[in-house]
Amino acid sequence: MKFHLLASVAGLALVAGAANAELKFPVGEGPFSWDSYTAWAESAPDLSGQTVTVSGPWLNPEDGFFRDVLAYFEEATGAKAVYTGSDGFEQQIVIDAEAGSAPNIAVFPQPGLAAVLAAKGQMTPLGDDMRQWVADNYAAGQSWVDLGTYPDQNGDPQFYGFFYNVNLKSLVWYSPDNFDDAGYELPGTMEELKALTEQIAADGEVPWCIGLGSGAATGWPATDWVEDMMLRTQPPEVYDQWVSNEMPFNDERVIEAIEEYGWFARNDAFVSGGSGAVSSTDFRDSPKGLFTSPPQCYLHRQASFATAFFPEDVVPGEDADFFYLPGFAEKDLGNPVLGGGTVLAITDPTPGAEALMEFLTLPIASEVFMNQSGFLAPHKGVNLDAYRDEILRKQGEILLDATTFRFDGSDLMPAAVGAGTFWTGMVDYTGGKDAKAVADDIQRSWDALK
Amino acid sequence: MDNIAGHKSGLTWAVHLSVAFLVILWLFPTMGLFVSSFRTADQISSSGWWKALFPTEQNIVIRGASPSEQVQVDGMYVIEGSVFDSRASGDIAHWGTSSREIDAYKPGEVVEMRDGSTITLNEDGTYRMENAAEFEGSRGQRIFFTATTPPEFTLDNYEFMLFDERNSEGMSKAFFSTLTVTIPATVIPILIAAFAAYALAWMEFPGRAILIACVVGLLVVPLQLALIPLLKFHNNIGIGKGYLGVWLAHTGFGLPLAIYLLRNYMVGLPRDIIENAKVDGATDFQIFVKIILPLSFPALASFAIFQFLWTWNDLLVAMVFLIDSSGQTTVMTKQIVEMLGTRGGDWEILATAAFISMAVPIAVFFAMQRYLVRGLLAGSVK
Repeated sequence: MKFHLLASVAGLALVAGAANAELKFPVGEGPFSWDSYTAWAESAPDLSGQTVTVSGPWLNPEDGFFRDVLAYFEEATGAKAVYTGSDGFEQQIVIDAEAGSAPNIAVFPQPGLAAVLAAKGQMTPLGDDMRQWVADNYAAGQSWVDLGTYPDQNGDPQFYGFFYNVNLKSLVWYSPDNFDDAGYELPGTMEELKALTEQIAADGEVPWCIGLGSGAATGWPATDWVEDMMLRTQPPEVYDQWVSNEMPFNDERVIEAIEEYGWFARNDAFVSGGSGAVSSTDFRDSPKGLFTSPPQCYLHRQASFATAFFPEDVVPGEDADFFYLPGFAEKDLGNPVLGGGTVLAITDPTPGAEALMEFLTLPIASEVFMNQSGFLAPHKGVNLDAYRDEILRKQGEILLDATTFRFDGSDLMPAAVGAGTFWTGMVDYTGGKDAKAVADDIQRSWDALK
Repeated sequence: MDNIAGHKSGLTWAVHLSVAFLVILWLFPTMGLFVSSFRTADQISSSGWWKALFPTEQNIVIRGASPSEQVQVDGMYVIEGSVFDSRASGDIAHWGTSSREIDAYKPGEVVEMRDGSTITLNEDGTYRMENAAEFEGSRGQRIFFTATTPPEFTLDNYEFMLFDERNSEGMSKAFFSTLTVTIPATVIPILIAAFAAYALAWMEFPGRAILIACVVGLLVVPLQLALIPLLKFHNNIGIGKGYLGVWLAHTGFGLPLAIYLLRNYMVGLPRDIIENAKVDGATDFQIFVKIILPLSFPALASFAIFQFLWTWNDLLVAMVFLIDSSGQTTVMTKQIVEMLGTRGGDWEILATAAFISMAVPIAVFFAMQRYLVRGLLAGSVK
């Protein structure tokens, strides 16, 4: 009896949870591409009664925004689309795929993880049409196709996933008001940025806020620094060789990039709290130093999602702005774009899953998300007016103008290196260890995997 | 003479002091969490919780009202307001208008700005900007000031978790779902373990000692080893992910400790009672139900507390065996993790969530705690 009662209470709770989703923006209004949506909706298959499941790493509040996107899919097809987020997604998808209870579609935060599942035959290729679509419709399309192509269980390369929700690394955030008060100019080249850093330090202020702390992932912000420096000191081809380990990690050129990062982070006068505080400061807390009274620092290098960690009363675009981390004038390497992002792939094929993947390629699927959150779309067809604010729009334009796009290298390296020794090595380096010794250690850990 | 019963030994004080010390040591982090749950995210990241309890001198920067709120008085454009509109008031020590000189002026001083306008900040926090020409721009003037402000606490975090419509539905669903997981996952292992413990303690059969050794051995096997094989097994026999699966998993992972604990307790029960019952013709089942179970109540209760706390706080087993991608099943721990945000920086939510999710286990603990010590000591102290 007791058991029965409980089961029915649980049942009630479940029914209450399955409330009808409503459309966030009425069809036909706002800066959205409705035409392609209504056209697709008319020819969309009727999937009434079917459920499509999606799992991914987005949690509050991004999970809500993605559910808003799914509501349009439900409206068009009659299917039910369910998203569940998990902070341990990387582990859970491996367990689920292994045990045979994977969701229809998985949102991978790292292409490296998707490649692992592809190699085990746990994912379904998307086919040539989709590959062609990405190549044609994404800015720097071939870069994106390459990032979504992995060898299957037979070793044949197949196109498995396309990118959705991209972020831009290599942005330098600052407070325009503080720059005005101090009379600083925005730097156009890396040389100028270094001169500005020295000038701020000479004025008795602290130029940079850098924080590497991130729980078990402590150290990753420094890997972004090194990747940025790599792209600014070497051509993109060298970057690719480094990421694939064709060029060893302890190569002269990598060590040079690590030391470029050290120029900023290992100088007590250049970082807030001194270089000893860099490793122990949480990356989520470090940007707040830009807005304190008096400012703890004037510059902060972080990806586009940094705005999420600004104090509540800071309005991006007004109180905070960014400039693109410039390249060295003397190197003439252009402005390569470094970014990260999530890749969508089918882990349990059904007609519903395929229809949902098709729906997510529509501009509207990006626009509803980017109107509410720090979501950047490499999709050339989206209406830029849909971006939530000016700052995101500017970032979206940088992404669309990119001729070379390079993905966050540490996410492409094997997990034991890119999410292991590279992180810890950068903490060691920041703490004072020799760059050569750190690079040797990382290369040794990579050799051990071969 | 020193050892007369009733005489207090000098060591009693040492015992009391060390107990007090340990209690404070254990409560200290909880205190911090508790204080943090009443603070905003910005407060948490800018100062430690121990500073929240006393008035502190803070450097604050706010924006004055935006130029759109200017009014014309006697031919001058005026913007007025108070820096304490959105925060608790305090005593202003000094103020400034530039991030380079945040303590340039005294309260009440009238200062001329670069564009010819004047600004003044009074001791009570009101400010007044005057200009002959119209104020331009979309954002208000920044005002830096140093003030001693009293402690400031907020109930917003609790409101956000319990009553905000984005969360309250999910939270109540997760609450009932957690109960649905926890109660059977506590009752089933106790049932099975009580039978097993009786058999291992009082029934004679070959291989009993080895069985006991095996159960003790299972105590040291980490449950992580079994996750994937067990889930595969569940999928193969058709249970899949769901309540049944998570009950079975919790039962399996809880049984070794349950059997070990209950057996040790039952073995310590007086042999005479059981032999008398046997002589009187009672069957094993009768002995178990009428004699052993009532006598073992403290041990059953203490294991129930253990198992309840463990399943209530569990995230790992629920993630693997219960939560599937349909989104229909969830537990409190999972709900809380989701609220932490995509990048996990929302400490104020974590602190609040900890106290909300603690409420039920604390109630269970206090309701049954007098059995806990008795049950744990039984079998070790005779």
